[in-house]
Amino acid sequence: MKRTTMPFGPQHPVLPEPLVLDLILEDERVIDAIPTIGYIHRGLEMMVERVEYTEMGFVAERICGICSFMHGMGYCVSLESIMNVEVPERARWLRVIWAEISRVQSHLLWLGLGADAFGFENLFMHCWRMREEILDIFEKTTGGRIIHSVNRIGGVKRDVSDSELAAIVVKLDELGTAFDATARVFAKDPSIRHRMSGVGVLSADDARAVDAVGPMARASGVVMDTRLSGTYGYDRLDFEPVIETAGDCLARVVVRMREVTQSIGLVRQAVDKMPKGDGMALETKPRGNPTGEVFTRLEQPRGEVLYYVKGNGTKNLERFRARTPTFANIPAMIKLVKGCELADVPNIILTIDPCISCTER
Amino acid sequence: MANPFRLPMVPRALRNLVSRPATRRYPSEIRPRFDGARGTIEFDVETCNYCMLCMRRCPAAAITVVREERMWSIEQLTCIACNVCVEVCAKKSLTMSRDSKHVHVRSEVGPQGQRPGHEEWHGADPALTAPVKPAAEAPTSAS
Amino acid sequence: MDRDAFLARVGEYHKEGRRLALINVTTSVPSAAPAHGAKPGAEAPGAEAAAPAPETFEIVWAFENDKDHSLETIRETVTPADAVPSISEFFGAAFLYENEMRELFGLNVEGINLDLQGQLYKTATKVPFSHAAVKARLEAVNAAAAAKATAAAAGATTEPKA
Repeated sequence: MKRTTMPFGPQHPVLPEPLVLDLILEDERVIDAIPTIGYIHRGLEMMVERVEYTEMGFVAERICGICSFMHGMGYCVSLESIMNVEVPERARWLRVIWAEISRVQSHLLWLGLGADAFGFENLFMHCWRMREEILDIFEKTTGGRIIHSVNRIGGVKRDVSDSELAAIVVKLDELGTAFDATARVFAKDPSIRHRMSGVGVLSADDARAVDAVGPMARASGVVMDTRLSGTYGYDRLDFEPVIETAGDCLARVVVRMREVTQSIGLVRQAVDKMPKGDGMALETKPRGNPTGEVFTRLEQPRGEVLYYVKGNGTKNLERFRARTPTFANIPAMIKLVKGCELADVPNIILTIDPCISCTER
Repeated sequence: MANPFRLPMVPRALRNLVSRPATRRYPSEIRPRFDGARGTIEFDVETCNYCMLCMRRCPAAAITVVREERMWSIEQLTCIACNVCVEVCAKKSLTMSRDSKHVHVRSEVGPQGQRPGHEEWHGADPALTAPVKPAAEAPTSAS
Repeated sequence: MDRDAFLARVGEYHKEGRRLALINVTTSVPSAAPAHGAKPGAEAPGAEAAAPAPETFEIVWAFENDKDHSLETIRETVTPADAVPSISEFFGAAFLYENEMRELFGLNVEGINLDLQGQLYKTATKVPFSHAAVKARLEAVNAAAAAKATAAAAGATTEPKA
């Protein structure tokens, strides 16, 4: 049978960022896929040579607009480990709260894109309308909708008063109720089921073999969630990771949907458990220059992010490496695309939640 | 054709059809930004003592200060609104206003060849002001 | 590096069910290079005595256990001439890291299962993290700082009396 090579990307309506997959097709079936990335490679890791470690946090949070908060948090947390800085308790809780709200925002964005991938534009706009509420919360508390710039080495720069936090919890509860109605659409709509159920199945063994992380692995039944390690403020939160076993695209949608509800619950828990009061310390100033190395792992909305930071005693770091979850999920994506139909390729690529700006930094 | 009574999005779609749009008619209607939003840096030339701390700490190198000429300038389009300059200014000459930067990004250049977004202030005549103590390292100029 | 011992260790980690978390390369810039912010003309102590160091890179392989969140690492110091064995026979997902090692650092990785022939990233400078490229950038930064310092000093001497 004759084989055709069709490039998927770099511009494609479903892709939030440019990615190229050269698909080798036999009729409508994909036999092989060869990835090329690099369209959004900005050399951010090279900037450690020019930018001092105090300012590198601003570069780190601009690696990606969707995962921005946790990149900034991950950078600051890594430097705090190297420089042995103890972050005040209220700052740690605030970071957890902002991180979970950021997760809600990211999953709502993705659910909208997932719906748009097969043309359900109404649902796409509806998810994004709910996401605007979250962005307003961010603008009120951090000053920015997408890039927050509140994380500093040693703590956070802004406080959120207890009354504001209570108001945020109320607003998130309202959002949760509105979201439940939308979740019913994702779970029950026949067109979504038709396009996503049984498509792109990743078994648990395959998920482990390709080293998948995040909702990609959790939808295949692999129990993996970096927040369970109880580090960086997650030690006092009770939750169970959201696991589905079907391993198809619909399972990945359901995992992210349930994580939205879970994260709203985690914010409520955090606001209950955090120390109350005004004027508490928010930042501990670090001393000296960073020397040493650290591996930091956080759970971003797309999976586990791993930061490797190495300092050599000067004002410039020697190495800053952010291994983002999409970087770890690209082999899984390539494995899934092989053997599927051409019309399913956009859906499958979108269900790994590709954040190519994170991948290429 | 699927049964429309079993499509869960239909009630929502019908409700959207008869209610007002969720979007605003921008730019005729503008929502004012929330208090504390990161917007534009504003400078008070009366209080500045030209210690150059803001220039040294700016991550984007958007601020240029020439102490000898009492000149303070900012490239608004380079500024990332991180607020570090506001935090370090000892004289509280810098504030962050919540409004977005109103810069017309066209290819026009200013009379001295400045880029769009370039804002410059000149302080009092050096001959009339008292000597200024530099913030840190060895002073190279006669004061 | 001892290829067989290395692959044996990697195979053990694979059998334990660990997941490949990271393969990172750091360009080990020798200490004789001028430090950032050094005054122009000043030398790092002992710089004259050090012989030109071999161009080395430090590679770290990190394997994570998802049940107890422990991380095991293997570290090797290599030069561009050394052959680095690919671990893609155990961890198929390693191809992305290993192609990156080749393209950004110029390391000689052998036996990658999906070899992208240098087409993974499109960078303006080929091998941007090689020792030569890093040194060139460092020198450019120091030269710019030096030029700025001399301009400021010249400006200060001609300043009118306050």
